[in-house]
Amino acid sequence: MSDDNWPSPMPRPGDDDETPGADASVFAAFAPPHDAAIAALPDDTTAAESPEEATATAPPEDDDFGPELAEAALSVRSAPQGVPAGGPQTASGVGNRVRGLASAGGADRVVSPRRRSGPLSWIGAVLLAVWLVAMPLASSVTELRQNTQIVVMVLAVLGVNIATGYGGMISLGHGVFVAVGAFGAAYAVDDLALPWVVSIIAGAAFAGAIGALVGLPALRIKGIHLALVTLGLAIVFQPLAKRVPTFSGGVSGRAVGAELVPPSWFGTTRWAEGLYRYVICLAVVGLAMWLTHNIIKSRPGRAMRAVRDNDTAAAVYGVNLVASRVSTFAASATLAGLAGALGIVLVPFTSQESYPFQESLVLYATAVLGGLGSIWGSVLGVAIREVFSAIGGFLGDVSGLGPLGEFLRLLDEEQFVFGVLLVALTFVFPRGLIGMFNRSKPWLRYGWSRIAESKSLQN
Amino acid sequence: MDVVLLLQRIFDALFNSAIYSSLALALVIIFRSTGLLNFAQGEMATFSAYIAFVLLAGAAPGVTGGGLASWIGAPLVTPLAIGGAVVIGIAAGAATERVLIRPLRNAPELALVNVTIGILLALNSLMGQWWGTGPRVFPPFFPSDPGDHFAIAGARLRFSTVGAWLVLFALLTVLALLLRYTRAGLAFRAVSIDSESAALNGIRVGPTLMYGWALAAGLGAIAANMSANSVLLEPTMMVRVLVYAFAAATLGGLDSPKGALVGGVVIGLSQTLIPAYVPFIGFELSVLPALVAMVVVLIVRPAGLFGTQRIERV
Repeated sequence: MSDDNWPSPMPRPGDDDETPGADASVFAAFAPPHDAAIAALPDDTTAAESPEEATATAPPEDDDFGPELAEAALSVRSAPQGVPAGGPQTASGVGNRVRGLASAGGADRVVSPRRRSGPLSWIGAVLLAVWLVAMPLASSVTELRQNTQIVVMVLAVLGVNIATGYGGMISLGHGVFVAVGAFGAAYAVDDLALPWVVSIIAGAAFAGAIGALVGLPALRIKGIHLALVTLGLAIVFQPLAKRVPTFSGGVSGRAVGAELVPPSWFGTTRWAEGLYRYVICLAVVGLAMWLTHNIIKSRPGRAMRAVRDNDTAAAVYGVNLVASRVSTFAASATLAGLAGALGIVLVPFTSQESYPFQESLVLYATAVLGGLGSIWGSVLGVAIREVFSAIGGFLGDVSGLGPLGEFLRLLDEEQFVFGVLLVALTFVFPRGLIGMFNRSKPWLRYGWSRIAESKSLQN
Repeated sequence: MDVVLLLQRIFDALFNSAIYSSLALALVIIFRSTGLLNFAQGEMATFSAYIAFVLLAGAAPGVTGGGLASWIGAPLVTPLAIGGAVVIGIAAGAATERVLIRPLRNAPELALVNVTIGILLALNSLMGQWWGTGPRVFPPFFPSDPGDHFAIAGARLRFSTVGAWLVLFALLTVLALLLRYTRAGLAFRAVSIDSESAALNGIRVGPTLMYGWALAAGLGAIAANMSANSVLLEPTMMVRVLVYAFAAATLGGLDSPKGALVGGVVIGLSQTLIPAYVPFIGFELSVLPALVAMVVVLIVRPAGLFGTQRIERV
């Protein structure tokens, strides 16, 4: 299937990452002041033309041997880091260092062709920061727990994003890894009586190991066939989990006996407990996002994207395909498993019932809607999901409108809304909603209007 | 080993085999012509079965879509209702291709996965919302009273099994005739082989693919309506069936109709026999062998038994 005229939703080499403005400023919320200084730098010190615009306007180049590869090759051969000749990716690595210099010594602008972030990204960052701080203060115990679950969900979506957006391996079965992480952590904390920290790590690691196993077939099975296999995995999971009751609690699920209680100085009220868990979860999510960001920007991340764009060429340049694919899948499963493990900290119960295959598909949809190949896209996806669920909850309660009311109730169905959005956004925002936060045009002119032009006649 | 029991199990498996073969055939038709795996095939088929359910239930209270039935008048007799539902399913399949798939003809694989997954999610949820997630009683397609069977060597071969195979063979015959002797069929074969050359020869590729989608939707709808009685009608009815059908299609070769038929039989037999003789698998986990078979085939021989080997240009 040819890509002509169609900007790939799988991001191309040049337009890899999100909105640096929001990036830095939000990290400032829980990062050293050094980063805050970086965030305060005007964003206009970017190159005249952002790579995003370049790829959006220029005919997409045959990306077989794009800058990504050249760069991957450079780094794989362990050339000195930050060779300026590299593509945008390397440049952004350099960019970080240069920005550090700039903030220290006020060096003149050194061109780092980063994507320009639009004003929306600032608004989004502020909104997010305000929400993160104000939410716990304004929430009841139950609301706080639910909102913490939302925060944790970012990890699962990020997991899908790494496999699909960065690794190019379509995964429709990430709910399985979330479940495995939850079961693993529950098993560790209860049956093995390990401390919480170890249990959470063990749950995530176990999910990662299972992910590596699933990643092995992904060496041969690619594209749409991998989507098929992972969908099958998601469908097979429930009956399979019922078969291993010691681990999953069987049909009825398993309650978690241990509780994560805050130290006494933190307070002993239920709300303080909730706040403690919220802070821990937020810290873990932030840390995971930061680690992901760094991995993506470093050698394994470049290799990952090179494999995504053309595995044969990547192999020729010296990328170890087996290691790259398996570790990508393992990393993405680890993140999903971490989400599951944190989930049982919040709600001390887990069951295969909570992980029907639809759940995996909604996770996938969330990642796609937010924007594949962008860490902040995953955050945005989760935010959108909550916004829609709030709207749906409101509209679903409206009663007495006859057929219209019936339709409105349908909007309360997350699955339905996400199904429709997934179809609609494929036409309107093929790169996901994160595109709105960049200054270039997020929507694309390739919708129904292009029907008439046949691929065959253009070749 | 009890031979009669084995024979009985094989007979029971053959009904499922027919269903899997039909759905696998539907998947193959679409894959062959567009290179697309239609993940929504199962839900589209289930939707058609629900339409039949509505037409049969008439204006019964609590059934969404009762208005449709009361507009028609009296509740329909089973064959008419199922026939109507299949026609509606075919129309919906063609419409889906026209509105959602054709505009994406130049899009990457991921966009098409997104669209079919989106349809799957939306339809699944829609059916649950309209008709409830619980199972509904669906009238039998074939006579299926306890006495309706042939006795062969002590085992019972149900009429429904024989009927399902008769329907499948009738469908295959019609399909073969359509593809062989009609202009649209010729166009479809040409597009399947090479859509660019077909277009250069003046064949309108878009409508031809729509024809393929309509055929596939029809096959799926018939499969769903045939099986809705035995597996009970519910929104997720075809989800596992879809895995079996995908396994069957993969085993036989995703672009081979013959492969779909053979794969359907093999997967149907294994789905009944493996749980019967391997205690760990049991009935519920019978979808696991199908998944394993699919993975093994994709790794060892991606073209399947009868599919064409693809050569990738680097």
